[in-house]
Amino acid sequence: MPQLSSLVDWKPLILACFGLISHSANVYAQAPAAPPPREGLPTLSGYMEMHLNKVQDLPTEVDLHRFVLMIGHSFSDRLKFWSEVEVEHAFVEVEGGEETGEVAIEQAFIDVMLNRRFNLRAGMVLVPVGIINERHEPPTFHGVERTFVDTVIVPTTWRDTGVGAFGDLGRGFSYRAYAVPGLDAAGFSAEEGIAGGRQQGGRADASDPAVTGRLEYRNTGLTAGASLWRGGAGFGLIRLDIQTPTVAVSSLDARYRRGRHELRGQWSMVNISGAADLNRALQMHTGLSPNIASRLLGAYAEAATRVTPDSWSDEVVVFGRYEKFDTQNKMPAGFQPLQEFQRSAWVAGATYYPDPDVAFKFDVIRERNKSGVVRAPWQINLGVGWWF
Amino acid sequence: MLLKCFVVLALALGPSPQALKPSSPRVIRVSAERFAYTPSEITVEKGTVIEFHLTSEDTDHGFRIIGTEVDVQIPKRRRGETVVKYTADTAGRFIIECSRPCGAGHTAMRATLVVK
Repeated sequence: MPQLSSLVDWKPLILACFGLISHSANVYAQAPAAPPPREGLPTLSGYMEMHLNKVQDLPTEVDLHRFVLMIGHSFSDRLKFWSEVEVEHAFVEVEGGEETGEVAIEQAFIDVMLNRRFNLRAGMVLVPVGIINERHEPPTFHGVERTFVDTVIVPTTWRDTGVGAFGDLGRGFSYRAYAVPGLDAAGFSAEEGIAGGRQQGGRADASDPAVTGRLEYRNTGLTAGASLWRGGAGFGLIRLDIQTPTVAVSSLDARYRRGRHELRGQWSMVNISGAADLNRALQMHTGLSPNIASRLLGAYAEAATRVTPDSWSDEVVVFGRYEKFDTQNKMPAGFQPLQEFQRSAWVAGATYYPDPDVAFKFDVIRERNKSGVVRAPWQINLGVGWWF
Repeated sequence: MLLKCFVVLALALGPSPQALKPSSPRVIRVSAERFAYTPSEITVEKGTVIEFHLTSEDTDHGFRIIGTEVDVQIPKRRRGETVVKYTADTAGRFIIECSRPCGAGHTAMRATLVVK
């Protein structure tokens, strides 16, 4: 009689003879093992970044710039929640009528997953314009601070309450499109463009709505996108008897990575219709003309390369970036641009990654402008940012 | 003796040795990056044994095929790859989703597996 162990040894052969093997055990993972299930329970993640900035002629400043917690939850495979709560500059206090920091909800939305091409989203959403606004975790970009273009032309982090759709169109194309409240033109400025006009979801006036969207293409190593925001901006000026200004933001961007090298670039333009009336109306209201332009324009190109050997798990990436950003690129008739706002900057630095989610950053910025009176400062920045 | 007779009979009447050899898996490489998989659509014939080789360009991601047992973690950039085999024995469209929070666009990080 065969031993039991012999029978066990024969079993696969017997089963194979009858063609019963192979598809019975259809799933197995090699290394690493599957993580414990995280969906179904609320998830917690976040990022933080701390900066040391030395700007010419100003005191050296250390700032816990952002502390962000993200909470997510899957109600089901079709119903998802995601949120992002941020504290900027460590604490919030009002000094002399001016806030020293900020606590803000940057995202809080529900996704209803319907099918590959069409899904719904409602809540506080990120405006899908440019590279940084939707991908702003510190290890994802080089430089201690975000680019100038993503600060004064595209005002990151730009978010608002809205509803919309998103999906994957196939062949590498995807899209996002939302309806959101418009901007408050009374907050526009010559130096920082439309940034001060963001309503940011708090009791936002929705009487002057806007639409925004992005079409993105991905292929091996390449991500390219075209973004648009267009809407009204005049609800705060309703009693000033002027034509309601409208704002159109358009942006093109691309990232390409091959091996240890990465290139990225972005071009962004803001057009403000009725800027002349807006300047006159605000001057009557406040006594000062804000000198708001009818066109803002910015672009940057960046090259980065990993200089550490492939055998090292730690990474050092050096980068260089050139930016041009002009918040008074075109003025309305009767208004003159200030040369100090026609700016450019060279940024060079390095990022050290002891882990792909932890970035120690260093950069030097040489900023220039066209003014013969107002000197653009140089600055040196150190920072650390991480994601978990 | 009875067992040996049984085996000989089975070998004589069963499929040829060539047919017994399991087909080699189809290797499909998937790259994950905030907030997309490349490729985002994978099409295979029913019965295909797929060997997914999963890598990340940034942080760690999840790779979960909804409705199956596949739910693995993709290691961070340059920290290796996850290899997972899956036999596509049911026709249909399967959603692949990131099952590990990875940032602002995590909930929309999806791909599709089409089994014909």
